[in-house]
Amino acid sequence: MKTIEIEHITKDYGQHRGVFDLSFDVRKGEVLGFLGPNGAGKTTTIRQLLGFIKPDQGKVNILGKDCFEQADEIKKSLGYLPGEIAFIDSMSGMEFIRFVAKMKKMKDLGRAQELMEQFELNANGKLKKMSKGMKQKIGIVCAFMQDPDILILDEPTSGLDPLMQNRFVELILSEKRRGKTILMSSHIFEEVERTCDRAVIIRGGELVAVDTMESLCSGKQKRMEITFADTAMAAGYVSGFAKAVQDEQDGRRVTMKVGRDIDEAVKKAGAFTVVDLNVHTQSLEDFFLHFYGGDQS
Amino acid sequence: MNLTLYKKEWKANWILLAIFMAVLTMYATMIIAMFDPKMGDSLQEMAASMPEVFAAFGMADVGQTLLEFTTGYLYGILLTAFPAVYIIILSNRLVARYVDNGSMVYLLAAPDKRGKIVGTQMIFLVTSLLLMLVYVSGVILATAHLLFPGEMDIPGFLRVNAGLFGLWIMVGGVCFLSSCVFNESKMAVGISSAFVVYSLLVQMISQVGEKFEGLKYATPMTLYAVDGLIAKDGQAWLTCAIMYGVGILCFAAGIAVFRKKNLPI
Repeated sequence: MKTIEIEHITKDYGQHRGVFDLSFDVRKGEVLGFLGPNGAGKTTTIRQLLGFIKPDQGKVNILGKDCFEQADEIKKSLGYLPGEIAFIDSMSGMEFIRFVAKMKKMKDLGRAQELMEQFELNANGKLKKMSKGMKQKIGIVCAFMQDPDILILDEPTSGLDPLMQNRFVELILSEKRRGKTILMSSHIFEEVERTCDRAVIIRGGELVAVDTMESLCSGKQKRMEITFADTAMAAGYVSGFAKAVQDEQDGRRVTMKVGRDIDEAVKKAGAFTVVDLNVHTQSLEDFFLHFYGGDQS
Repeated sequence: MNLTLYKKEWKANWILLAIFMAVLTMYATMIIAMFDPKMGDSLQEMAASMPEVFAAFGMADVGQTLLEFTTGYLYGILLTAFPAVYIIILSNRLVARYVDNGSMVYLLAAPDKRGKIVGTQMIFLVTSLLLMLVYVSGVILATAHLLFPGEMDIPGFLRVNAGLFGLWIMVGGVCFLSSCVFNESKMAVGISSAFVVYSLLVQMISQVGEKFEGLKYATPMTLYAVDGLIAKDGQAWLTCAIMYGVGILCFAAGIAVFRKKNLPI
């Protein structure tokens, strides 16, 4: 079942800013990563999901309801963490959390307390004086405290230190186990890799790729370095496996880029005496760069 | 109405309201204390010495009764200009500022229609103005009763205040509409201030001499006909009704715009 449906939306801000004929959906119970470079249209898409802006063309639905016209009904089961967090600065953190809880018509703050403990947040100070990280934690508490079925998170870990980023990944994983549907935009590939089932990649407001994390990562290339016992073996290996290149300085060493053909690369090496083997994995970030950078790769 | 939001706005804005009420209390009590039915009018002597200035503030030809004296000196400019400043500040705070700094996200986190949220803000503006009106007219009546018991024409005074509230509603409507239309505080405040300054300035010029009298048709402030309301003049009631009408239309338009517009938050 599809919880969030985005069908052919266009929102044109001119000068090729905005989103253009974008379609994807988020299935019930999945965590969908929403990736793209700055200015790709991630926030524009999210604003349409929240009902803040109306698409020029196309439809956005959550739980079968129109995101603009029925935003009030959708919000009963929606938690949102904005990318640029702005609070009511005159309040203290705790006052603000209570205010948002009351606005959301929540009865108890038990979940909020749990979250504050989980993120080691002391929300008693004035919001105006809080650091970016503290504000981010308050934003997280406000998004999750209602225990909503659907979460839309715009760069949720920005401003958090690595320890807290880790706590956040744990939070997402536990919410996923509890059956929540999550759409998460991010720049941090590790957190996407660890949490998301599928990812959508957009660039210049247009869809570039949408697939499971597994198959997105399957195109990942590894750089392999094998050192054989002598130059003859290296030459023998290269003649059998054309992708490999014999090293000019050290004739015993060969290097190659492998993807799905890793099995072949390893088995062919088995015919010779291997003295050393190095594998450099391309990071997900490097991998996504070829989507981002377009023609460069 | 969203009661949580309504209470929050009281908590955030009572100081602003208190400051304006304190300033108006000071002026109101001072001016009434200057009324002297027996000794002749000291303010009138001052008016005679600089007639243009007094005329500009609508204080020329102030009558002899306590009601005419009060309305002449207070309702000409003080009770229109000061509350207008309050309205400009508050209406910006109630809508445009939330949109400008992005915290509107959290008001709209409520499972309520946009119309309900922005309607709550309108109700807050109107009720805080009503409180200001009740308070200020209470202060004037109490001071008048204390210093000059029995001198005040109370029904006439109430008619003048009914008109004053109409004027506030009109200014409130225009400023609220501007706050709903613009996404930047700067613009919301700019347009509402321009409206208020223009209206008051043209009114002042139109009062200075016969040469500019025709300008009174170019400012909405003329709709507030104080002397006509005292005299129970039919036309004064009609223009009073127009002020309420314009105000209500502007509030409705502001809410309608806000419900449909794209919010950059």
